[in-house]
Amino acid sequence: MKILSMSGFVPEAICDTVRFNGFKGDAGFSHYCTYASDYISQVLSDDTIDGAVFPKTCDSSRSISSYIGESGKFVYSLAVPVVRSEDAISYYAYVIRDYKTAVEAHYGISISEDEIYDRFRMVEARNASINSLYESLADGLSYSSYLNAIHENFTKPLAEQKIEASGQSAGIPVFLLGSYMTNAGIVDSAEKNGLRIIGDDLPESNRIAKRAFPVVDDIYQLVALQVLSSRTSPTQNSYSDRIKETMEEIGKKGCRGVLVVTQRFCEPYDYYYSVLKKALDDAGIPSLKLELDGSLDQNLHEAELGAFASMLEACHG
Amino acid sequence: MADSYLKYVASSMRSYYKDFSKYAKGRAPECKVAWVTSFTPVEILDCLGIEYIYPESYAAVIAASGKEQALLEESDRQGLSLNCCSYSCCFEGCLATESGPRGLPPKPDVLIATNNQCNTLPGWWNTLAKKYNVPLIILDYPGEFTSPEIAASYVKEQHQEFISRMEELSGNKLDMDDLKAAIGRSKASVEAWKRVISCFKDKDIPPTLLFDNINFLITARCKEDTATIYNLMADELAQSPDKDPSLMPLFWIGYPLWYHPDRYLSEVTEGFAVVGSNYINWWNLDYSGSDVWESLFNAYNYTFLNLKQETKTARLQALIESSGAKCAISCRNKSCKCDFVSAKDVGIVQTELEIDMIDREYLDLDRAKSLIAVMKESLN
Repeated sequence: MKILSMSGFVPEAICDTVRFNGFKGDAGFSHYCTYASDYISQVLSDDTIDGAVFPKTCDSSRSISSYIGESGKFVYSLAVPVVRSEDAISYYAYVIRDYKTAVEAHYGISISEDEIYDRFRMVEARNASINSLYESLADGLSYSSYLNAIHENFTKPLAEQKIEASGQSAGIPVFLLGSYMTNAGIVDSAEKNGLRIIGDDLPESNRIAKRAFPVVDDIYQLVALQVLSSRTSPTQNSYSDRIKETMEEIGKKGCRGVLVVTQRFCEPYDYYYSVLKKALDDAGIPSLKLELDGSLDQNLHEAELGAFASMLEACHG
Repeated sequence: MADSYLKYVASSMRSYYKDFSKYAKGRAPECKVAWVTSFTPVEILDCLGIEYIYPESYAAVIAASGKEQALLEESDRQGLSLNCCSYSCCFEGCLATESGPRGLPPKPDVLIATNNQCNTLPGWWNTLAKKYNVPLIILDYPGEFTSPEIAASYVKEQHQEFISRMEELSGNKLDMDDLKAAIGRSKASVEAWKRVISCFKDKDIPPTLLFDNINFLITARCKEDTATIYNLMADELAQSPDKDPSLMPLFWIGYPLWYHPDRYLSEVTEGFAVVGSNYINWWNLDYSGSDVWESLFNAYNYTFLNLKQETKTARLQALIESSGAKCAISCRNKSCKCDFVSAKDVGIVQTELEIDMIDREYLDLDRAKSLIAVMKESLN
């Protein structure tokens, strides 16, 4: 069983999946998110992948099953709630239970509630270790080392994940915002150009870092809470709350600029950025938006990052 | 007969646009105003006396007036990527420049978005919420992507909460008999509209008439006059001459081109007769159910773009079959990724065109002409 997953909304407590980490494929569709089309390519052409699970959270992801539904592989579209409420959590608990039943039926396996609970605890521990490392970024931990450690672990079964990072970086403190960072080379490039990333809003990092939520008896409710207690994605309501949270963190950490890295034709981030940019401008915080053309776009944007670093340097002496 | 239906059309339009700045001339609306997406359960708002405005429809009206390109450019200057849905870009340009063919819509007291057609709308509505600093309500419809029982319960809870919040906003109490009656009016509008489009297959009716007049089913489906308009229109259309049998019957898959005077590529489809379109069926909502909750759930959870591919394909095939079309033009719309794959396995010859329903610059007319010529050749 090797299910390719996309997004942090996939409940890891149910079974192991391999997090999509970039692929160069042929399934290019005009005006369609380059990240989602690369995901489709991998599901269709990678024979080692026998299943796909993804959320119905944006226009590109909600139509993925239309492209891969006839692949003969396990295909599951998670109807993730777009709102955060008690009703939404109860509803998502049902969806998660349905997902588990579908996995069992397709693969001919049985997943016990004890197993789910064990995995729930492993996710909690893993997220706590991400949280701990995340806090160390402000003390100089290299962001490149941190992010690469996360990515490397996300390809492993949950039981084998152990996130450790070392190395220091120095430079102008900045905040990073964007979708799953398949092109981690940009982070290396930012550090080389004298930018020190000390906070972020990435789905594999700060968005899943451990957050408090109530403990309930029902395991599916608990897993739903685990997933939906994470920081919201731009695919969800509301922008106001997440912008407030982001601006507070940027201010608290003294970030001097913001890097925004998005995928081409990714509407949720395009809408979100149009609003965030105004908030950043109003607060006098410079931002640089880099748009990637595909999950394996290797353009390191050296020139833009260098110019941005120089501009921040000049602004603050 | 024609005068009769046009009289109701004029009255319905006056009622909808009365609070737009061009007509209101500074007068404030008499009730609370909601900006809604086109598959919002407006029956609830109607019963509570809340006026509802459709920004998407207004973007189409702007494009039909030929003013869209300048507003798209303004939207880009305002920081909204032109890769986003052109309805939102066009409307953003209208707000930024405070200009539109009917002026500006009345300011919203609440913003209501649904995700039963796409996920773009909640994002767009979030940008509006920041601009106007008013409450934003997102109604979440899982569609066919989870079990009907789970979805029905989840949607009912949201509708109940939605009613509470709208009662608070309007200061009115919802009478369930009124809601039942409003749903009844929506059902009647859908049935009357089906009578109108049933004429399309055999009668010589310009597609423009249907692309434009579906507007009432979108913006006024639970208003008393809407069924009247459509029934009178159907009576009139039934008297139209028959379609020229020598023309090749063509199905239009996708949105109308709002900027085009005919809403479709009339200049490159000589020899074809449009006999059907999926767009003119999208608002044929199914309000069946044993109570109001079930009716609203069926209507708004199972909208066309909220269905799984196999259901969409089956529905589209059925529409095409009943239209008698022998070929199709399938529009790959930059602004609607959810509709990209509607045209899978439709069972007839089709050609795919890259378009945008608002931004005329996305269309390569020469290429479209060549592709349609190739399709025509293959049919011969």
